Amino acid sequence: MYYLFPFFKWCDNTWIAQTIRGSKYIFPVVEAIHLLGLTVLLGVMVIMSLRLFGFILRHESTRDVATDLRPYAWTSIGTMLVTGYLLFASEALKCYDSPSFRFKMVCLILALVFQFTVYHKATTSDKADSSPGFARITAILALVLWFGVGLGGRAIGFL
Amino acid sequence: MSLLEICQWLQDTQFGTSLRESIWMFPIVEGTHVMALSLSVGTLLWMDLRLTGTFMKTQPMSKVSSSVLPWTLAGFAIMTITGLLLFWCQAVKAYNSIFFKMKVAMLFLAAVNAIAYHSTIYLRMDEWDKAIPPPRRARWAGWCSIMLWIGIIICGRTMAYNF
Repeated sequence: MYYLFPFFKWCDNTWIAQTIRGSKYIFPVVEAIHLLGLTVLLGVMVIMSLRLFGFILRHESTRDVATDLRPYAWTSIGTMLVTGYLLFASEALKCYDSPSFRFKMVCLILALVFQFTVYHKATTSDKADSSPGFARITAILALVLWFGVGLGGRAIGFL
Repeated sequence: MSLLEICQWLQDTQFGTSLRESIWMFPIVEGTHVMALSLSVGTLLWMDLRLTGTFMKTQPMSKVSSSVLPWTLAGFAIMTITGLLLFWCQAVKAYNSIFFKMKVAMLFLAAVNAIAYHSTIYLRMDEWDKAIPPPRRARWAGWCSIMLWIGIIICGRTMAYNF
């Protein structure tokens, strides 16, 4: 990934990155919002997966459950991306060296692709309710990919 | 023995010390604590939002809570176990942290809120199961829970910092 190094270096030097590094409070506040967003986003994925497996809320169609959850899903993804970028920028070079960060980014890219493809199909059509196999694959991918992002992020401090 | 002395003793036990100094165990326990937030607060959130009358309004309250609650309880079991382990191995640091004290106070208030809900308006759920909006006590219980858990999560994270 060495060809991305100039990008990481540029992020590290931006005004916003320097401001966050120079302040005692900004990073903790942004990080706290990032954690709240994580709780909501993973909460959405847990509920959706449980519904896709058919364990909960069976009286409602998968599509209806997803429709109710949709504003929370996208608001939390948006929040995570914004706060995540700010956290990343303030320590971009440290992230460049971190294998956990790279793992997290791979999971994040796959998770976002998944959101716009498989997840979209499962939650806007009747395919999930008519094909339990498809529903289960969607649920497993949602959990593996999004928890992969979360675990990768947690590991940045350690690995 | 003072509370601080008890915390020091707890932290100095062989188990507490080896957990604190471990290479893998501490990160695993802490990582599980954070990830299980999705199972505990991440599921409770939907029940609380239904209580406030802003989410899944057309679904009966009883259906939402009976679906979600078993998973929430499992999540809280994991949070309690990992939380106690984390406290055990760094009890003095927790004791000295204003954010930890705020977190414990809010956890206590969240429990009081849950007990208050379950011993009053919850018992009359047949009357308001499908009501839009739910009765005032139910809405209050929902909003208080949400606000407290936001505070608990923020304090939990901020504990790590020394301002």
